[in-house]
Amino acid sequence: MKKALDFVKPALILLLVAAVVALVLGLVDSMTRDRIEAIAEQTKTNAMNAVLEAPSYEQIELGADAPSDIDEAYAAEGGGWVVQVTETGSQGAVTMMVGVNPDLTCSGISVTESSETAGLGAIASQQSAAGDAFRSQFVGQSGTVAVTKDGGTINALTGATITSRAISTGVTAALALCESLG
Amino acid sequence: MNAKKQLTEGLITNNPVLVQQIGLCATMAISTTLFNGIGMGLSVLIILTCCNVVVSAIRKIIPGQVRLAIFVVVIAGFVTIVDLLLQAFIPALSSALGVFIPLIVVNCIIIGRAEAFSSKEGVFLSFRDGVFQGLGYTCVLVLMCLVRELLGSGTIGGGILNGATSFFTLDGTGAGIRIIPEGFGAGALVLPFGGFLTLGCLMAVMQYALRKSNEKKARKEKEVKE
Repeated sequence: MKKALDFVKPALILLLVAAVVALVLGLVDSMTRDRIEAIAEQTKTNAMNAVLEAPSYEQIELGADAPSDIDEAYAAEGGGWVVQVTETGSQGAVTMMVGVNPDLTCSGISVTESSETAGLGAIASQQSAAGDAFRSQFVGQSGTVAVTKDGGTINALTGATITSRAISTGVTAALALCESLG
Repeated sequence: MNAKKQLTEGLITNNPVLVQQIGLCATMAISTTLFNGIGMGLSVLIILTCCNVVVSAIRKIIPGQVRLAIFVVVIAGFVTIVDLLLQAFIPALSSALGVFIPLIVVNCIIIGRAEAFSSKEGVFLSFRDGVFQGLGYTCVLVLMCLVRELLGSGTIGGGILNGATSFFTLDGTGAGIRIIPEGFGAGALVLPFGGFLTLGCLMAVMQYALRKSNEKKARKEKEVKE
């Protein structure tokens, strides 16, 4: 009997500790959840407004045959679209918002999530002069967008051709999607 | 064990990063701007102190066989709390530190202190140990950030100073005070291997200083004996 207790006691204490921790976590989660969701929503709206300003956006249902790199697409009130695209960069996924004008030219891009190398690929998502200069190259682009190395017109970020290429691919995918939307 | 001795241990003679050489991964990855350094340092300080106190409080009922599992559960709990609070109240810091906040769970500073100190000592001593070891970690991080940011990006106080709306800011728009003109910094220092270089230099300086002070102490003792 004593032996059985020796086995059960550590497990019970571990269970107890885990239960208390889970309870506390549940409390903290319920206190912070609304705030975190509101912040995420706000960040998204800000990113959408940065690429194509509109009073409101309406999400478009994407069919099952939509390209897999397109996450979400929105029709902007007053014409144009905002498309969220995820491409593979050099260090992982690069998620960006691409604004598309009604005449199927790019109105602006914003990199919302990425884990590219600091000082190189990360410039693409930074609020800095170099980042703005890189992103502004995409404004007015149409059709197939590519970096100069691939025969396009986008000057890649120094030391970050792969990141630049991923973003070009994303913009191309967004433009193609909007063309099919009409 | 008095407070002064614990403080010297945390900051200098048993500094978690420079002497114990633990928790290096996050140290090298995030020490690129002052904002990250202070944020990460304080997060670790808070988590370490809370874990030390809890582990010390329940040390008598923790069975030896499952102690590591219990430490990890407690640590993961506090890390998640801090992570959620940061996401809710300082989102800029949360997005700048990214995965390195959840990764504090496996940061050896915290599990190391739980195993080596707070599972054996009283609650108050463990509390002080958490604060002082956390301070030691924060100081090294801040030092590394200052060096790497100044020489690498040419600024001081990136992320928290010189913001878009006010001089002191927590919204992540801080551009820092520019010391070296843009483009003249040694950009390599901002990359992970720059972290290795900076940390190596800091450790060398620390070992040199420690050895000098030990030699001095030994000489003094010898003189006293003679």
